[in-house]
Amino acid sequence: MFRKVLIANRGEIALRIIRACKELGIKTVAVYSKADETSLHVRFADEAVCIGPPPSKESYLKIPHIIAAAEVTNADAIHPGYGFLAENETFAEICRDHGITFIGPTPEQIAAMGNKSVAKETMRAAGVPVIPGSEGVVSSYKEAAALAREIGYPIMLKAVAGGGGKGMRYVESEAELEQAFITARNEADAAFGNPDVYLEKFLEEPRHIEFQVFGDQHGNVIHLNERECSIQRRHQKLIEEAPSPIMTPELRSKMGEAAKRGAAAVGYVGAGTIEFLVDKYRNFYFMEMNTRIQVEHPVTEQSLGVDLIKEQILVAMGERLSLAEREPALHAIECRINAEDPRHGWRPSPGQITSLHFPGGHGVRIDSHIYQGYTIPPYYDSMIAKLITFAPTRNEAIAKMRRALEEFIIEGIATTIPFHRAMMDNPDFLAGTFDTKYLDTKGWEVLPSP
Amino acid sequence: MDLNYLRRLLKLFDESTLTELTIEEEGVTVRLARRFESSNNAPVALPQVMVQPVAPSNLAPTAAPAQEPLPAAAPAPSSARTHTIVSPIVGTFYRAPAPDAEPFVKVGDHVVPGQTLCIVEAMKLMNEIESDVSGTVVKILVENGQPVEYNQPLFEIALD
Repeated sequence: MFRKVLIANRGEIALRIIRACKELGIKTVAVYSKADETSLHVRFADEAVCIGPPPSKESYLKIPHIIAAAEVTNADAIHPGYGFLAENETFAEICRDHGITFIGPTPEQIAAMGNKSVAKETMRAAGVPVIPGSEGVVSSYKEAAALAREIGYPIMLKAVAGGGGKGMRYVESEAELEQAFITARNEADAAFGNPDVYLEKFLEEPRHIEFQVFGDQHGNVIHLNERECSIQRRHQKLIEEAPSPIMTPELRSKMGEAAKRGAAAVGYVGAGTIEFLVDKYRNFYFMEMNTRIQVEHPVTEQSLGVDLIKEQILVAMGERLSLAEREPALHAIECRINAEDPRHGWRPSPGQITSLHFPGGHGVRIDSHIYQGYTIPPYYDSMIAKLITFAPTRNEAIAKMRRALEEFIIEGIATTIPFHRAMMDNPDFLAGTFDTKYLDTKGWEVLPSP
Repeated sequence: MDLNYLRRLLKLFDESTLTELTIEEEGVTVRLARRFESSNNAPVALPQVMVQPVAPSNLAPTAAPAQEPLPAAAPAPSSARTHTIVSPIVGTFYRAPAPDAEPFVKVGDHVVPGQTLCIVEAMKLMNEIESDVSGTVVKILVENGQPVEYNQPLFEIALD
């Protein structure tokens, strides 16, 4: 059993991890930048170490300061949360070199899945369906044109060093290809320092459906069903749910087995997520693997009645997986509440929360670090709360979300609550007929400007 | 206004980390506020008390927790101009280059810019922390072997 865990993160996920540690009887160390002195995760932890000035580069991404904090507090392990250093193989390796357990996969597994083109090849070799496209980097326009002719337009050019929705180009016909190829390479070089691109078939009406996988140090790998994450704005998820409204037990079994094959192929240890794109014909294709716990993990937790953070900690301690595969028991929905104004171009809205009332009651869960009087610092991402509802059916979960959003009062800043309220009345959302393009194309109809 | 009540309130406020406390009770408002001066200016760290009558209202204490970043261990400035040396990194504080060696500086020593004051050890690397001012060491704020965090005050130097 770990005696002490250091949480290398902030905000709601730091709180989430601290809570799981407390329940396991593990002492906690919070690290914080000077901008987070009044943050809740600092208060809730047993010990706290200031690791730098506000900018992330000088604090939450500053590996020497975080390792030093673990050393001076004698922490056994570090939980990296999501974002920041969670998928940084150098950090995982330095932890290993210093005898500190990194709660997550090995540095080699992080590296393998971090290169999008290598990840795709690894999955293809494991028999996981991948989006038809180039095998690795496309080095010339002629190569791209020949491949595109074979696969069929429309196609996507994607940066090898990109990810998270960045560095991608849509090409509708051969006439556009040469120009697109040159600009895609230039953009990739400017944004990621690496001009290499690969080519993929463009999928029609794609839905983003991801599978939670879990591996332990004894070779066991399971999947914990899917999450539907198609409601996205500029490739950033806003609403997630488990299970997916279009899933069938047969498709879940096929996709789940494919996800497990992919994870087992790298001997994966810890929590991971295999992201698939599912087209309108219900063909599924591997897109990316995330080697960390995800923001939207609560919908899986509420759907199955499990604790994924505790399981991460137990697996890191060498325990066998305690969770078992089963069909979803409840339907869960999560709305990400951001400090952004959806009525004015989604502009960020940092500032002080002057009045706060959390919703509650049956079937409602809040993961949040905010409190009345808290000032949201402008240095970090804008997510301030996750509101999760869960019920036996999707319609009931939506009704609970509608009710909970009405109770949710946050004053002093603008938030995305009005957007989520509009979505809970939106006919396409209610019918479950939406794909990843929905918000970008129809978003302006969801929440009319005042 | 009951003087004993006020005295107790002042004591409580002094022992807290609040920068401001306002209490309204039976037509009287009490506002306590604390201002921190930087260690280079004339030092004042005393609570200010303002008592004024307002329309009666229920007892409604409001406390404003500090929004300003506070030093980890707020040093009480002395009467001369003083400068506080803070740690730029996380690690373990050592006063001497080796366990059995003489400390780099003692209270009363004069130091100049660039002079090594201490070592903060992090990840097996010894980082020498240098003075950026010329003056006399007035106070050493941490113990040998103590863990220190970013921005933690280490030395108080009375400027020349």
